[in-house]
Amino acid sequence: MNKRKKQRIAFAIFRLLSLVVVGILLWILGFIIYRGAGTISWEFLTSAPTDGMTGGGILPAIVGTLCLVAGSVLFAFPVGLMSGIYMNEYAGNGFVVKFIRVMTNNLGGIPSIVFGLFGMALFVNTFGFGDSIIAGSFTLGLLILPLIIRTTEEALKAIPQSFRSGSLALGASRFQTIVRVTLPMAFPNIVTGLILSIGRVSGETAPILFTVAAYFLPRLPHSIFDQVMALPYHLYVVATSGTDIEASRPIAYGTALTLIVIVLLMNLLAGLLRRYFGGKVKTD
Amino acid sequence: MIETKHIDFYYGAFHALKDVSIRIEPHTVTAFIGPSGCGKSTFLRLFNRMNDLIDGVRLTGECIVDGVNIYNKSVQVDDLRKKVGMVFQKPNPFPKSIFENVAYGLRVNDVQNKAFITQRVEESLKSAALWEEVKDKLKKSAFELSGGQQQRLCIARALAVSPSILLMDEPASALDPISTSKIEELIHVLKQEYTIVIVTHNMQQAARVSDRTGFFMLGELVEYSDTKKMFLNPEKVETQNYITGRFG
Ligand SMILES: Nc1ncnc2c1ncn2[C@@H]1O[C@H](COP(=O)(O)OP(=O)(O)OP(=O)(O)O)[C@@H](O)[C@H]1O
Ligand SMILES: [Mg+2]
Repeated sequence: MNKRKKQRIAFAIFRLLSLVVVGILLWILGFIIYRGAGTISWEFLTSAPTDGMTGGGILPAIVGTLCLVAGSVLFAFPVGLMSGIYMNEYAGNGFVVKFIRVMTNNLGGIPSIVFGLFGMALFVNTFGFGDSIIAGSFTLGLLILPLIIRTTEEALKAIPQSFRSGSLALGASRFQTIVRVTLPMAFPNIVTGLILSIGRVSGETAPILFTVAAYFLPRLPHSIFDQVMALPYHLYVVATSGTDIEASRPIAYGTALTLIVIVLLMNLLAGLLRRYFGGKVKTD
Repeated sequence: MIETKHIDFYYGAFHALKDVSIRIEPHTVTAFIGPSGCGKSTFLRLFNRMNDLIDGVRLTGECIVDGVNIYNKSVQVDDLRKKVGMVFQKPNPFPKSIFENVAYGLRVNDVQNKAFITQRVEESLKSAALWEEVKDKLKKSAFELSGGQQQRLCIARALAVSPSILLMDEPASALDPISTSKIEELIHVLKQEYTIVIVTHNMQQAARVSDRTGFFMLGELVEYSDTKKMFLNPEKVETQNYITGRFG
């Protein structure tokens, strides 16, 4: 076989496989939309579940998930950002940093249910937060911390040294160099990490199971020490262990669709943020 | 004035500079020439302590700028770098506007007076012979400039903090002939106010712009004398070979 033919065949296979993957994704999405769209209504999005979760809406779960996303990002983003900066810009390449890096990567590989268990032991019990938004947010925050540290580090590493030298040579401190040059340049890629973590947080069930998620709580939270319902767990409940599974099936699909749309909207928002900062880096 | 006494410099175990002693007078242009890897950049980076950023380096000897050994504990490295500016081989403007690039050094040195900053930016761009080309687009990104303009912007950026010494590491090697001659003209003018030390691979350039020339080889300063004498009548046979192209 000559090399052109080989290439043609290889690319044909690649194309076929990517089409299959895209097809499957579209199928899932289409299926969820097809089954869920009928359930979605203003009513569904703005009211609490009723009739043993076979009727009503999912507002408490939407609010709960938004709270958890906000809470975990609020905690993990600054911490992860600062650790990433420290590790890439200050710490050099000594034993301690290498150790931290290995540990961070390992942390990223731990199953999320283990985080749930740990979160329960530490935040719910030891700190005495009880099942609460704050306990759930910290637990989810720990879960995404490795990802944020990692993307921050990678984003900073991708900035050519010449920009740092240029800044330092003008008498800027290393901190000024980071704040004014390196970080703004790295920010678009850091936001990408943030997007991924938001998707992760909105979809995780295991870490919130023992730390925050309520089976049925048809009111909105008043403080960060309240329990909340959350979309992924609600989906699990109505699909497997509600009072009448058949009757709540449409609600399950409606919930799934809402979850997907929320994640997409957040990605869109983060994308705009990325564009905004990216644009700013270029012209300002 | 810059003076080094018996400088030895190591990258880890590698002995990159060997017993280099030199004196550089104010308001002169000094060129360093020599084959690739002989230590010219390393030597230049000593004067604003940019070598400090590299792990595992070691230095012995003295490096004195305006009467102070800049490697003394009492010397603040950011103060030193304000006094000793640097222009790099590849233009490296920040991803900011033209104005902000030039203002950067002032801002990081806590200058807040807006009128003063505006004035300094204009003066610096004029000194770098760039003002006429950019005065109507100061808010535009520096990346929209040509390579030669970017390099002059970097010169303006360095001048804005009012250094007394300007280090240039092959500032024209990435530029076309016209941009190169602009930079060379600029060096002629800037020498009235600044002490300039330039590394170059281009022997004609060294001959054109510099008052004194130092020839490095394998980490040693082989010969250091008036540029005219160096090119017409070098003392050492290695220098002779290098400038006539029989080596390197
Ligand atoms: N960061 C570094 N780590 C280890 N060795 C280095 C480093 N930088 C330079 N060297 C070595 O030190 C020697 C001098 O390097 P330097 O960059 O000063 O040479 P140069 O004369 O500027 O060369 P060129 O003309 O190619 O720019 C070279 O042999 C180089 O390999
Ligand atoms: Mg060099």
